[in-house]
Amino acid sequence: MILGVALRIQEPSDEPSEAPVLVTVTGGVPSWPVARATARTASRACVALDLTGARTAAVAAIRVGGPCAPALRPVVGSGVATIVRGGHSVTGRRLAPLDTEAVRRFAAACGLADFAVTATGSPMLTEHELAVAAIIAAEVPDARITLSYEFGHPGLREREANAIRNAALGPEAGRIADEVARELPGVPAYFARSGSGLVSAHYFRRFPLACDLGATASGERGRAELGEAGRKAPDGVAAAYGAALAEPEAQVERIVQARGRAELERVLQDARDEALTRVVSAGAAPGSARIAETTVNPLSYLPDGLYRVRVTAGGRPWAG
Amino acid sequence: MGRLIDLDGLARFSAGSRVFATGAAESSFNLAVDWARSVLGHGVELLAAGEPEPDTLCVAVSLVGSTTALGEQLPFGDEPERAVRALERRLGERAGAVVALNLAAENALIPLVAAARLGVPLVDGDGSGRVFPLLEQTTYALGGLSPAPVALAGGSGEVVLLETAADRVEELLRPVVLALGGWAVAACYPMAARDLAQAVVPGTVSLLMRAGEPGVARSVAAPYGVRALCRGRILAVEGSTGHGTDLALPSLPSSIVLRESEGLRRLVRLEAHNEIVLALADGAVVATVPDLICMVSTADEMVVDVDKAEPGLEVDIMVVRAAPVWHTARGLALGGPRAFGIPL
Repeated sequence: MILGVALRIQEPSDEPSEAPVLVTVTGGVPSWPVARATARTASRACVALDLTGARTAAVAAIRVGGPCAPALRPVVGSGVATIVRGGHSVTGRRLAPLDTEAVRRFAAACGLADFAVTATGSPMLTEHELAVAAIIAAEVPDARITLSYEFGHPGLREREANAIRNAALGPEAGRIADEVARELPGVPAYFARSGSGLVSAHYFRRFPLACDLGATASGERGRAELGEAGRKAPDGVAAAYGAALAEPEAQVERIVQARGRAELERVLQDARDEALTRVVSAGAAPGSARIAETTVNPLSYLPDGLYRVRVTAGGRPWAG
Repeated sequence: MGRLIDLDGLARFSAGSRVFATGAAESSFNLAVDWARSVLGHGVELLAAGEPEPDTLCVAVSLVGSTTALGEQLPFGDEPERAVRALERRLGERAGAVVALNLAAENALIPLVAAARLGVPLVDGDGSGRVFPLLEQTTYALGGLSPAPVALAGGSGEVVLLETAADRVEELLRPVVLALGGWAVAACYPMAARDLAQAVVPGTVSLLMRAGEPGVARSVAAPYGVRALCRGRILAVEGSTGHGTDLALPSLPSSIVLRESEGLRRLVRLEAHNEIVLALADGAVVATVPDLICMVSTADEMVVDVDKAEPGLEVDIMVVRAAPVWHTARGLALGGPRAFGIPL
């Protein structure tokens, strides 16, 4: 029996607090309401929630790249940001050596523990983001670090905004995951992704942004699956049911360089392998992990051999 | 009398510049809008092509290279003025107005940034009426003007001046742009206002400002006509994997295959060399350059970049008729199918 859970983020104005909506699914058939004791016997719990309005932490943002127009600087809200020298062009050329000293100074002085790191060119070459992460970890032992390349999206500012929001959601995601674990002891928990699919609680703690609109996505899925009954079902039931039906999914997006078909096949294989590793980390049973989709687009107005690659991997949950 | 492009005008202009724009990466477009907004001040004066004094030096300004590269390696902020200033130094003369090379997305906004930062007017028109991949594929060239000397400003403070015969500009420009990281701002086609007035596609800036008003029909942005070719779902995107050369341009060709959703359910094939240059339906040619062929997503009505085309997406194929000068013998030689290696 799979448990679907629809959670609503509590906002300060909410009175009284809303209880989560629980739906059990056995052989694809939903049933509700669900007694607490029954919920605790589930083989896995799939949680759907939207993180809109969730509490956010102040973030220390580090951008690696050249100086830029003031209007294009990092946007961190209540946090702090710096731009340090380094990064790569999309053609793979190193723009400047990484200013490791500037990273160290900022990390030591910022007084924050939630870091977002975005290096120019990281969809192509991740080395400067990884190097910054190592420096932060050495300076701030309890730091939680988001690296923008994990989100893949080409376009520095969008990737940076994703990294900053992910870092800002980290502490709240940890609190939510703890609460679910406390409420459902011994039941492996998954969280619904924004687009489709699930991720493990462990993955959710690290990449809450992947689940930013989990309830919205699950609600649509659940409503469609419920058919005629879906129209009458409350939002929470549709979302809980939709989440219970989903399976682990993960994506990898990169810019790659390859001359000729053989080399392209090789770099695509690397991206696929990474997507498979990632979907296992997102809670798929290792033997079930498979590539769902690979998209390859040549980049316009750049030399032959530069491609945007997006790989989606899926699998069955290891639990239940 | 000139009019001002202010913040409200910028909103309409930027929306209008995307109506038929291909190659507009979301990221680079957004940054161009934010950049333009931050430098606009009280606004930029918009002048009709005939309005500046006939001897006024006018300079075309454009992004060259890859929008993906611009979205990744952000501008320092002074590139447009740095490029124009370099050209002025070479010519020993101040530019009195800026004009666009074409008005597709960021290419519309970067000349506006240049005009704002230099404190000069923007000319109401452009050198294309659509967008072509090469710097020499413009109505300015058709009017007998040379793109050279060309000044390029890169994002790390570089300035490169190219002085060469018109037909070698592209060959020299491309490797330089790659060395600059994949994009640069070009100041080119230095010309007297009287020559510009003869060669420009007139009135296109104010046209796009009208097209960008909420609720205005897409066809407003196509003064010479637009037709819907078909609606179809993308079946496959095929990319060539290179020909062993480093700097070939236009960059590698790709093909997009669609199945028409309704009616004859024809198999439609779009051939792209950065831009879509040819459309075939069941093997018959149904549209070619110099007309602009673009895919518009049926889900959100946005133009789909060739880079972003993917199987499953449903699109309307629209064909925007190019300015009349592109349909003359000289226009076809410069921007027709043969210019892209298609013997039609």
